[in-house]
Amino acid sequence: MSTRYTGARVTRNEDPALLCGRGLFVDDIHLPRLAHAAVLRSPHAHARIVRIDTRRARAARAVVAVLTHADLGDLGGPLPRLIPHPALVHHKTQQALASTTVRYVGEAVALIVAESRYAAEDALDLVDVEYAPLPAAVGLEDAVAPSAPLVHEDAGTNVCARYTQRVGDVERAFAGAPRRFRERLVMDRGTASPLETRGIVAAWDPRARLLEIWDSTQAPIPIRNGLAAMFGLPQTNVRVVAPDVGGGFGPKVMMFYPEEILVPLAAQRLGRPVKWIEDRREHFVATNQEREQIHDAEIALDGTGRILGVRTVFLYDAGAYCPYGLIVPIVAGTTLPGPYHVPNYHCEFTAVFTNKTPVSPYRGAGRPHGVFVMERLLDRAADGLGIDRAEIRRRNLIQPDEFPYDVGLIYQDNAPVQYDSGDYPRCLARAAEMIGYADWRAQQEAYRTAGRYLGLGVACYVEGTGIGPYEGCRVTVEPSGQVFAATGVGTQGQGHMTAFAQIVADHLGVTPRDVTVRTGDTAAFGWGTGTFASRAAVVAGTAASMAAAAVREKTRIVAATLLEARPDEIELADGKVFVRGVPSRALPLGEVAAAANPLRFAMPREWEGPGLEATRFFAPPRGTFSNGVHACIVEIDPETGMLSLHRYVIVHDCGRVLNPLIVEGQIHGGVAQGLGGAFWEKVVYDAQGQPLTTTFMDYLLPTAADLPSFEVGHEETPTPLNPLGVKGAGEAGVIPVGAAIAQAVEDALRPFRVHITEMPLSPSRVWELVAGTRRSA
Amino acid sequence: MKLEGTNTLPASVDTVWKTINDPDALRSCTPGLKELKATGPDTYQATLQIGIAAVKGTYAGTLSITDKRAPTHYKITLEGTGGAGFMKGEGSVDLEPQGSGTLLKWTGDLQVGGLIAGVGQRMLGGVGKMLIGQFFKCLEERLGGSA
Repeated sequence: MSTRYTGARVTRNEDPALLCGRGLFVDDIHLPRLAHAAVLRSPHAHARIVRIDTRRARAARAVVAVLTHADLGDLGGPLPRLIPHPALVHHKTQQALASTTVRYVGEAVALIVAESRYAAEDALDLVDVEYAPLPAAVGLEDAVAPSAPLVHEDAGTNVCARYTQRVGDVERAFAGAPRRFRERLVMDRGTASPLETRGIVAAWDPRARLLEIWDSTQAPIPIRNGLAAMFGLPQTNVRVVAPDVGGGFGPKVMMFYPEEILVPLAAQRLGRPVKWIEDRREHFVATNQEREQIHDAEIALDGTGRILGVRTVFLYDAGAYCPYGLIVPIVAGTTLPGPYHVPNYHCEFTAVFTNKTPVSPYRGAGRPHGVFVMERLLDRAADGLGIDRAEIRRRNLIQPDEFPYDVGLIYQDNAPVQYDSGDYPRCLARAAEMIGYADWRAQQEAYRTAGRYLGLGVACYVEGTGIGPYEGCRVTVEPSGQVFAATGVGTQGQGHMTAFAQIVADHLGVTPRDVTVRTGDTAAFGWGTGTFASRAAVVAGTAASMAAAAVREKTRIVAATLLEARPDEIELADGKVFVRGVPSRALPLGEVAAAANPLRFAMPREWEGPGLEATRFFAPPRGTFSNGVHACIVEIDPETGMLSLHRYVIVHDCGRVLNPLIVEGQIHGGVAQGLGGAFWEKVVYDAQGQPLTTTFMDYLLPTAADLPSFEVGHEETPTPLNPLGVKGAGEAGVIPVGAAIAQAVEDALRPFRVHITEMPLSPSRVWELVAGTRRSA
Repeated sequence: MKLEGTNTLPASVDTVWKTINDPDALRSCTPGLKELKATGPDTYQATLQIGIAAVKGTYAGTLSITDKRAPTHYKITLEGTGGAGFMKGEGSVDLEPQGSGTLLKWTGDLQVGGLIAGVGQRMLGGVGKMLIGQFFKCLEERLGGSA
């Protein structure tokens, strides 16, 4: 295989359509007789449903159906439990529509289907629901208090799981340690805010007995499999398409959201297609969120700054239900040791139900927490020991000759956390060089003399990516010469249509523009698990490479007969198949494809099957670990608490880079989301569990005007775990941002002795911290 | 959300007490009140129409007066639900003579949910104060004070 395109800055196949407004999103699906649904949601964080009277709504003009729990029949039970874990004692999931109790503001109570969305929304006001409000468990620490209201009465506790992982002998390490530092670190809630909210269209064809679904999801195949089981249909009679998806970031890998069952059910009952598009306010309460954790963490070191042990005991907010199990806290705990030697480690978490929107992975999925805790501990230790912050990191880094490096923990895929490759010291050195670390103190001093408060932060991370179980790809060359690659991992903006095309193009001697990638349509490819955990390039990319390589071999066998040569003399380039050294003895690739599908005569046994087509699956033994270092320079105005970002440097290593343009895009978006979560974005609830940030007026997303130009440095340490040598990059950008910003803000405000132990910050919070130190001074 | 305030009214404690117990006075002075129907002694069925920021809604609910200690104190409880969410309020009123008039001290604790909480919360304090201000101004006028 040549590597003409793999690794090149190929512009994206998907962009012309997206940039010209010709994308196909769920809301672009228009079907004859389409009806529109709206969801009635609980205004209470916790309440018993005393009575629901839908008579006025049913009688309203243009309303065609009203569903409450009583109408759901067999579909009224708890929604499927994903990813069980032995430690997860109370694996609670919600019902598609609440029956007796609502447990968060936004929980679905009724579905109204009408001739228009307008009529459906109007009819929401006509459903009379009598609630008996119950006390709500809102704050994470309050929810574990013995007197706390119970989110799930039958559980008898708000603790859904406790889980501990240990490496070495932490007690002994701490007992004998010359220096110890403790921190209580708090991270609050955020929401992913994709450009496109959730949405679903369902159509039922009673003659074909075919249920067709268009769903803005990251996991169309599991959705199909689940719907087939729930509706009692063969999997082949359910087609789920995730068309263009305007951002997923994790919450869209959740299944099942209530609407994913209710809309198909309504379509089947009514015999007409139904559409539901989540509006932005609904998104703030009805799409899963993340990030709330409270860590009590401690680090033990020797006098030279070498880590002897780390322990953290933390609370994890699961929200009202925990469909996705314990993935987020497990990822947080296993990410925490990062690129450092941590010979003794104790991580213990308590997962807690609260009367808030459920939690499932959101870009980073616990990694930002682990990194924030480890990096804050190191900052504290550096200050306490009088060691430079970059230097204390350097002293503890795992060295390039230590791979594979076994951390001693079990990861979210149930495999050991074993770092496969990397060069952590080189990444740190390069980031330090790019940001100008050596000259920083002098520069900072000059700014301070001029009355300005600038600070530098540098944070390291290791990121588990590319986990199994498997993905597949089918590569087909059509007689036209067009190449098609179909895979189960849908795309939400990651550039799959291009990255996979590059891989396939190099095997078949065509250009990426000649390769059409089909993702997210169960009718095109029916095996797979979904797009999550920075795994698409690693797992599906490798499957695409394997399938394309198999098609190339088949092409050689078929063409050898046609060109009267040996298969090993056949080459593929420029869309042609030819005998090596004799370019005149050539055939267009499409002609070989036609010849591989003869109408008569015996087919040679070595062809294995007709056509130039092959399907291959890749199942990695375990995840592969990317890593990186972020460094930034910020300025704080102590009078207003406002932050401005002067520079932001990212050095990262995701193994072999398939397309630097795409990886940089992923990094840019991730850093922007990380900066939002570090300084602007915060989901706020009042004491009764009412969300107070349900518009972009109150939930602040960073805009281009708030962000600096990002400076990206690629390092490439290929992984031995797949033939492409690639590691995941999708979540990388977001992971160490909070840690780097906290350190930079603290550094900027050193004269005020501000101590940062929380994320996100905000101008007012920074102002309070400064004012607090002024008062106590 | 907790609110409190005081108003001076140009009438005796007894007169003020009568007025704030008079359904007619409550009906005409409560801003946005569309309907007030007595369902029992000191309990009413109420329909309120209020706009908070962009959230305009009609709330149906109950209003009741409890803890009466004539002529100086009562507690007022309001519960309403509507398409824009729900509101639940509890307040107390205390009267004491001040010169020839009456000093009325009030406290309120308002809890809202649903759309009004999510979208209107930043306006809630201001709107609440304004509505309560309108209420007392109306009482003042009824009691013959200067407008």
